[in-house]
Amino acid sequence: MLSEKETTIIALEEDVVEFTETKPTPPAPKKEAKSVDVKDVKIAAKKTAPRTSKKELTMLAKAASEFAKKMLAPNREENDKYPFGPFFEDALEKAFGVDFFHIILPEDMNGMNQGMSALSVTLDNICQEDSSLGGILFTNAAAQELMIQAGSKAELERICSKETVRDFLIALPVFNNPSEVKHLAQAKKTGDAYTLSGSLEYMVLGDLAGQAIIPASIAGSTRYSYFLVDLKDKGISKSEPILSLGLHACPAVDLELNHVKATLIGQEGKGSDYFEKMADRLHVAAASMALGVMKGSFKEAFDYAKKREQGGHEIINWSEVKMILSNMAIKISNAEMIIEKACKAVDTLEAKWETRSRAAALHIQDMACDLTTDGIQLLGGVGYMKDFGQEKRFRDAKHIQALLGITPIKKITFIENMI
Amino acid sequence: MISRSEIKSYLSKEPLFDDMTCSLKATTRQPAAMIKETRKIIELARRFNKEVIEPYALELDRTMQKDPDYLPWEFVKKANEWGFFTLWIPKIFGGHGYNIPSLSYFMEETGSACLGLSNLICVHYLAVSTIFASWNLSLISKLCRLVAQGEKTGVPCLLSTAITEPGAGTDVEEVELVDRGKVACSATKVEGGYLINGSKVFISSGHVSQWHMVICYTDLKKPSENMIILAVETGSKGFSFGRVEHKMGVKGCPASELIFDNCFVPDDLVLLSRDHTGKQKRGVKETCGQILDYVLASSRAGVSAWGAGAARGAYETALDFALTTEVNGKTLANHEWAQSMLAEMYKNVCIARLTYIETNYANGMYGLFKTIQMKPLFYYFKYMPMILLDKFAPMILNLASTTWLFRKIQLDWQSDPEFHRTAGWGSLAKFTGTDMGMKNCQMALEIMGQSGLRQDRRAEKILRDSKLLQIFEGTNQLNRLNLFKCLVAKNNPMIKVFEKE
Amino acid sequence: MKKGKEMVAHAQRSPFDHAPCFEDMTSSLQSTARQPKGMLKETREVVALARKFKEEVMRPITLSMDRQMQKDPEYLPWEFVRKANEWGFYTLWVPRIFGGKGYNSPSMSYFLEELGSECLGLSNLIGVHYLAVVTMFATFNIRLINKLLREVEDGQKTGIPCLLSLAITEPGAGTDVEEVELVDKGNVGCQATKVEGGYLINGSKIFISSGHVSRWHIVICYEDLKNPSDTMLVLPVKTGSKGFSFGRKEHKMGVKICPASELNFEDCFVPDDLVLMNKEQNQKNRRNNKQTNSQMIDYVVSTSRAGVSAWGTGAARGAFENALDFAINTEVNGKRLVNHEWAQAMLAEMYKNVAISRLSYVETNYANGLCGLYKTIQFKPLFYYFKIVPKIVIDYIIRPIINLPVTTWVFRKIQLDGQTDAQFHRTSGWASLAKFTGTDAGVKNCQMALEIMGQAGLRQDRRAEKILRDSKLLQIYEGTNQLNRINLFKCLAAQGHSQVRVFEHE
Repeated sequence: MLSEKETTIIALEEDVVEFTETKPTPPAPKKEAKSVDVKDVKIAAKKTAPRTSKKELTMLAKAASEFAKKMLAPNREENDKYPFGPFFEDALEKAFGVDFFHIILPEDMNGMNQGMSALSVTLDNICQEDSSLGGILFTNAAAQELMIQAGSKAELERICSKETVRDFLIALPVFNNPSEVKHLAQAKKTGDAYTLSGSLEYMVLGDLAGQAIIPASIAGSTRYSYFLVDLKDKGISKSEPILSLGLHACPAVDLELNHVKATLIGQEGKGSDYFEKMADRLHVAAASMALGVMKGSFKEAFDYAKKREQGGHEIINWSEVKMILSNMAIKISNAEMIIEKACKAVDTLEAKWETRSRAAALHIQDMACDLTTDGIQLLGGVGYMKDFGQEKRFRDAKHIQALLGITPIKKITFIENMI
Repeated sequence: MISRSEIKSYLSKEPLFDDMTCSLKATTRQPAAMIKETRKIIELARRFNKEVIEPYALELDRTMQKDPDYLPWEFVKKANEWGFFTLWIPKIFGGHGYNIPSLSYFMEETGSACLGLSNLICVHYLAVSTIFASWNLSLISKLCRLVAQGEKTGVPCLLSTAITEPGAGTDVEEVELVDRGKVACSATKVEGGYLINGSKVFISSGHVSQWHMVICYTDLKKPSENMIILAVETGSKGFSFGRVEHKMGVKGCPASELIFDNCFVPDDLVLLSRDHTGKQKRGVKETCGQILDYVLASSRAGVSAWGAGAARGAYETALDFALTTEVNGKTLANHEWAQSMLAEMYKNVCIARLTYIETNYANGMYGLFKTIQMKPLFYYFKYMPMILLDKFAPMILNLASTTWLFRKIQLDWQSDPEFHRTAGWGSLAKFTGTDMGMKNCQMALEIMGQSGLRQDRRAEKILRDSKLLQIFEGTNQLNRLNLFKCLVAKNNPMIKVFEKE
Repeated sequence: MKKGKEMVAHAQRSPFDHAPCFEDMTSSLQSTARQPKGMLKETREVVALARKFKEEVMRPITLSMDRQMQKDPEYLPWEFVRKANEWGFYTLWVPRIFGGKGYNSPSMSYFLEELGSECLGLSNLIGVHYLAVVTMFATFNIRLINKLLREVEDGQKTGIPCLLSLAITEPGAGTDVEEVELVDKGNVGCQATKVEGGYLINGSKIFISSGHVSRWHIVICYEDLKNPSDTMLVLPVKTGSKGFSFGRKEHKMGVKICPASELNFEDCFVPDDLVLMNKEQNQKNRRNNKQTNSQMIDYVVSTSRAGVSAWGTGAARGAFENALDFAINTEVNGKRLVNHEWAQAMLAEMYKNVAISRLSYVETNYANGLCGLYKTIQFKPLFYYFKIVPKIVIDYIIRPIINLPVTTWVFRKIQLDGQTDAQFHRTSGWASLAKFTGTDAGVKNCQMALEIMGQAGLRQDRRAEKILRDSKLLQIYEGTNQLNRINLFKCLAAQGHSQVRVFEHE
């Protein structure tokens, strides 16, 4: 028996999407909620293909939501201070412990063998409280997906058998599409072995992870390849975490590489193929990060508007405030429907599923930028202050828009794929 | 084809010809010498940007992220050395007397380099406008001369305006709202002066200011008719600083809490009280509204200029990125879609600029600066030698009749249409300029992708900074309503603004 | 290591090297010193006159004309053109030395806004005449300009309107004709072949505003269709000439009352002494022929685009006024819509859109007055001289001077040679900025007005939907808004950066 909570439930297929109730509902008789263990989801998943059942999704959503409220919400401001404050080690470890990093991994790698619906619902709920952890989950999932697309099963298996979260994590420059702006290292081949040299900008999780995936070009080739490196290699020097707009606790560093030993992932020259295939799937996950941020922003604004008084009554009674809140709620309602549909398309490989995923991301991330700026606006002066969650969501929404490439170029690519 | 009376009649239909043509009218009335002054100011600002702001802006933002309680005294001293705190104070008050509209251009220039540092210099002038709007000439002179003194000695004397309270943000900006609101900062009359009790929040530059113009109320139940403006010096008994806010951006400029605990202010430091507002043509409440609007009509042009600055900083950063980054084998700036976006950004800067410029034309002919920009007075004060000014000015300024005269000219002789024009345009410029700032920042980060996320590439900081502009000096929502009230509703009895829903 | 240093250097390079130049930023401010004060009074008169004309002539027929056109798309608005002619609008902004009333051109933009707020179609019927007038001015062929404008003056006196139209757009070349970089890659078909004593024009022009009601058409054509930018000619053709005929009249969504005409040329002869501009004449200029043609076109669009921006402002204003009117007179939930806060916020946004569009065209005209088409005529001594010089002096002393080749030479020297690249870019860039800003604001306000009005906004008899249909055209002609953005980029953003290329093949 679940207790009354204002959680969002992502449903599958024809099921109706519910959203935060706008009217206060009479409190149900409280019962002790059974804490949902994500392992239950795994067990259930073992019996099915990547297609996730509604029950599993609900359980996963609940687990993620509870996790977020318990582990992320209380210290949001503190955690956001990184690198000028401590890193939220315990949250990261706990997330690892409950297998949030194993969602898309196959069973033989201790994974849940789930698809984008499961990853999305997890990211959505996590990002409602703190998208930094969402960013870490996304980056790692993207790295895993890259390796899966490249067929690097053995290497991936080796990494996934690691015991500690830091050894398990894979860093990836996930805010850049190497075909757009060519941030590439240089690879040198001697016999069957490769070494990498050069610089690489904005390696996300570079200061946390045990290994990194690096795009590099082999001399003489116009195409690029992906390589795996051990981040403890002596030839790697890392900058301090790069002070950035948002997702502070999902840090990135600049790397300098000096003849670093590297393992080829997949085949030479196929880097962009793997990237695009990974992006086809992961875009919808990026969209759900934006959705989570939107929900968090709306909720805080909505609650504030019901309490704060100006002009002699609660500000929610000013019709312009209602108008702004309404536009926010409409965006969220639409975004939920879009993501549900897109996830289904991706997981069941429907016709045109690649475009569904990308279109969802482009549109929803855009919506999130608009919505979160209103999210600050509704709180007036305090909306701008770090004591409240709105300013972080505003920064995070904009930050998320840059995942997997430069937005206008993503749009140009979208139409070029149709020509 | 058309008679003179017909002309008059048609031009007084909505939209009023005078509401539409501030710049055109200014071509006939504005002193031409203002052009040269403006050019000098812009050159000065650009030099200051290059030498002082640009090398420091990112570093200060970093420092503030690490240590949010840091106060940038070094920079304030530097700005003081460059003379910025007296540049726009009229010569008769000991300043350098540059025309006020040129301050807006300065705010755009420095704002395009760093909004935080620009705020540190220019919110001082928000306070200067506040004291000007009281037209208490002898007190204005006294306070301004302290600022001038601070420049000479190298010990900066900044002024701040304290109006916002914890329970009243939007409410304090409008006399229609403040009575329904929850103001708590009271001024109680005692022998020889007043006692202030309460607190003020979000006061820009509070911690680094020497004097604070505190707007409080002698009757908290009817604040709109009991507004009083008092000058409080840092260090006074009963006055203390509270917290410095932890803001998302504009970190360089502290947003301070001021705490008053039976803080005594003598009668001779009262800028304006009911005793004065009661004497004017309009009623007390309306006069208070008029005075607030005088301040806001000019300060909002400034905030609009900051918006233009943010828009410009974002545009220039994006342009720089586009010129030096290759995508698909060619310079990003040669991709048509990028050119189109950059053109849109360029346009946004221009639009923002045009609005604050137009507002200042209006202010110069109908608003706060109208007396000082009358050609004869303007040139007289420009060319009169400082020695003579210093000698004779205090004498004239200390006369009660001079204050009375100015209040007559500026308060009583400002007609309703003029009042609406400046206040309405001030609001229009404010929300337009600041929205343009935000829009450009969003676009710049879109174009720059990953590169735009890093603090060391400038763009993300401008986004964080520019959001505040949409909130302070009246939220953009309030400013739209004020525009509606002043320029659309005017005195139409069927239309009510700020009515309870 | 090198890349790392590059990255650091990159971060240290200043974007502040792109700061705009003072002159680009301050056209209105500089005008406070240089613009003749008399222009304010003229503007007041012109705006009042416009409002009178709106009330007395336009308002009674705006909706019925649009209805009429929907019923009978072939209808031509001769009656209205005659009325406008009676009111003197076709000569009001023609300089006195050419027989007109000599009102300053920037005041025309205010006029166009006023009329545009009532009906864009009727407003076009007056305004596009000046598009052609400006095209002639941009050639600075003073003798010919005078000759043609005297016919317009006669038209006003006799009551038989003499309108001018500009014929540049062709079936294969829309955007292409607006830019010399594009026209050579394009598909132009209107050719002028040199023959004894003149030229023969062959081809056709389309979408020519007011074509069917104009007496003279200023035709832009090309001697060598494979090299049009270097062989451009500007030739006036009179309605009724042998070889010239009207083709179809377009069936437009809006601006219906102003015909968009097809002009057909079949061996249409134009004598040598009617050539406004050609390669031979341009040999005397500082810039080469191609550059001069580009400059000439930019002179035209720098002024005309301010006018289109004014129309956009008018559309935005008309939409705002309609919405406000609706809001005042409609009750929702027991109180007037205009007292609902959300509606006040929307109306404020619409008011702002009108204001910023206006600011953009006004600023463009300041620039045109300081360094563009109007710079000579707004030079204070000349401005006041031409204002007061008696007609008799014009007819007997000035007129013969106008016909001298040296006069044309002097004007071309001042305006073509004497305009620096920076000034050329300023006016052209600002005109583009004003054009897309004003017209976008027009459409935006129309969209918002219809949102507010709901069902009432759908009916033609409530005015709002017509303005939406009309305003859309403004985003398309005089250079699409996309073209205008690229032009702005070229003129005001890209200057000084040699690596930038516009109109380059992707």
